[in-house]
Amino acid sequence: MKNLIEIKDATKSFHKNKETITPLDKLSLDVGRGEFLSLMGPSGSGKTTLLNLIAGIDSPTSGEILINGNDIAKLSRSQLTRWRAQHVGYIFQLYHLVPILSAYENVELPLLLGKWTKAERKAKVMAALDLVKLSDRAQHRPSELSGGQEQRVAIARAIVHDPELLVADEPTGDLDRESADSILRLLGDLAEKHGKTIVMVTHDPKASAAAHRALQLEKGKLVGEGHLLSH
Amino acid sequence: MLPFSYALRNLFRDPARLAQTVGGSALVVLLLVAAVALNQGMDRVLATSGSSKNVILMGKGSEESIERSEVHLEAEAAAATSIRGLDSQLGVSAISGEIFYQAPLETESGNVEQALFRGVLESALLVHSTVRVLEGRFPQSGEVMVGHLAHRKLGVDAEQTAIGKILKFEDASFTIVGIFEAPSTVLESEIWFDRNDLAAITQRDTLSSITLRMDSAEFDDVEIFTFQRNDLELSAIREDSYYEKLSIFYKPIKMMTWVTAALVAAGAVFGGLNTLYAAFAARVTEMATLQSIGFTRGALFVSLIQESLLATLTGTLVAFVTAYFLLDGLTIPFSVGTFSLTLTPMVIGVGLVAGFLLGTLGTLPPAFRCLAPALPSALRSH
Repeated sequence: MKNLIEIKDATKSFHKNKETITPLDKLSLDVGRGEFLSLMGPSGSGKTTLLNLIAGIDSPTSGEILINGNDIAKLSRSQLTRWRAQHVGYIFQLYHLVPILSAYENVELPLLLGKWTKAERKAKVMAALDLVKLSDRAQHRPSELSGGQEQRVAIARAIVHDPELLVADEPTGDLDRESADSILRLLGDLAEKHGKTIVMVTHDPKASAAAHRALQLEKGKLVGEGHLLSH
Repeated sequence: MLPFSYALRNLFRDPARLAQTVGGSALVVLLLVAAVALNQGMDRVLATSGSSKNVILMGKGSEESIERSEVHLEAEAAAATSIRGLDSQLGVSAISGEIFYQAPLETESGNVEQALFRGVLESALLVHSTVRVLEGRFPQSGEVMVGHLAHRKLGVDAEQTAIGKILKFEDASFTIVGIFEAPSTVLESEIWFDRNDLAAITQRDTLSSITLRMDSAEFDDVEIFTFQRNDLELSAIREDSYYEKLSIFYKPIKMMTWVTAALVAAGAVFGGLNTLYAAFAARVTEMATLQSIGFTRGALFVSLIQESLLATLTGTLVAFVTAYFLLDGLTIPFSVGTFSLTLTPMVIGVGLVAGFLLGTLGTLPPAFRCLAPALPSALRSH
């Protein structure tokens, strides 16, 4: 499997109260195309920092973040913004849907950055909502949806522009078990059937078990790999 | 770019905040519109009251105030015969010796208010070319003619200064026999008496001033006359220059208007800024989410500006409608006359610019603060 993500000696550090904090320390990692990877670890282990580096939300202090062979660590802030618009879908723990927009309009947001016609956008939005089984709730606002439904809308928003990479930060962290299982099945399907590469941060061993591979982080370093670590 | 509808719908996210922003900007714009209209109205009435073709002869040393000026009666005839090139109609020279006086006047309703009197003869109509008799006729002895805004200066209804009504000054009664207009001049607030009546009742044997309307004559000709007839102790001043000087006298009042408007507006602006800070601070995560999707800070900034502009321009519209019903055409008395507030294109332009600046410059600090945090921390803030 050819790698979509290749991280080489990525370090992220910052200063706080004259103290240097290094949430990520010379970490190297490869993620295959179509792989569903989970990142686990205690709070402060650097998993969200790593996720943000992969998503182009943050830049490393040193090292390379190669996505599809392109070192995004060298991109400027505006270049990163454009890159994210084309290549990444981000799924948040608290969904972060825009409350004044309907489910349809929330999902449509990433498409507004492209050159699709209104009809094309409609077809893509409805296809994404169909995939997450919420096409009948297209006109509902977030406040009219359950937590699980909101997360499904957020997933539809993350996939609607067909990015090769999905990053998810605790996507089931705010959901009941039933909704969480449903979301995990959906993410699994996106990797298996649609070839999406998914990197997911989670505290939940059961969620981690849904991934192809689980990595354990501690103090900014990879300390273990495999599903057995999470059980 | 985010669709315009996003900005529009965000407006109604918090109706209380919307009302506060619209109300605050309406107050700021209304105050500015009122201040500009007030200053413009005062300037306009003083600028149009004087004619460049008229020269006023006053007593030497009292050029600052017609009221204090004293001019010998014979100066009127002397000027008429000595100065060549004065305007004339049917052989009558356009020269008007006048008595100017301010005193309390009582209307039939018993209201007593300070009024502006001008004692004139019919020749006054030759020099004050803007005066038009709207109703009735020029006054004879025991009669007066009133400017159509005199009731505003007196603080009574217009019917109290209608033809046939009686005005009391000292112990004498005068019947109103005429109403005149002199658009946008201080004359419209005056009460014109027969000159001899006013001289008798104020026990004056001198004039306040002599106004001359020039045809081929020039100001220098009038000034030379004052030098030649040094014995009359006269000083000449162009009528428009006289009112220009008066305008300078009112500068402190105009400044006070600006200061008051600025202080109240500043309070409203800071209140509005506070509201915007609170509103935008609650949307830091939303803005960060939109950035993570791929919207640039610039696009989000434009959307925030659109949102604020919608609110402040709505406030501006509210201010214009309020100003139209409450201020437009409102007449305001001041010491030398009455001026009216008018929503001129300039006044509306100033209001629009103010509304635009409130929506743009006023939005800059809270918008920057909303979009400034680094994405990773902004995404985690709730």
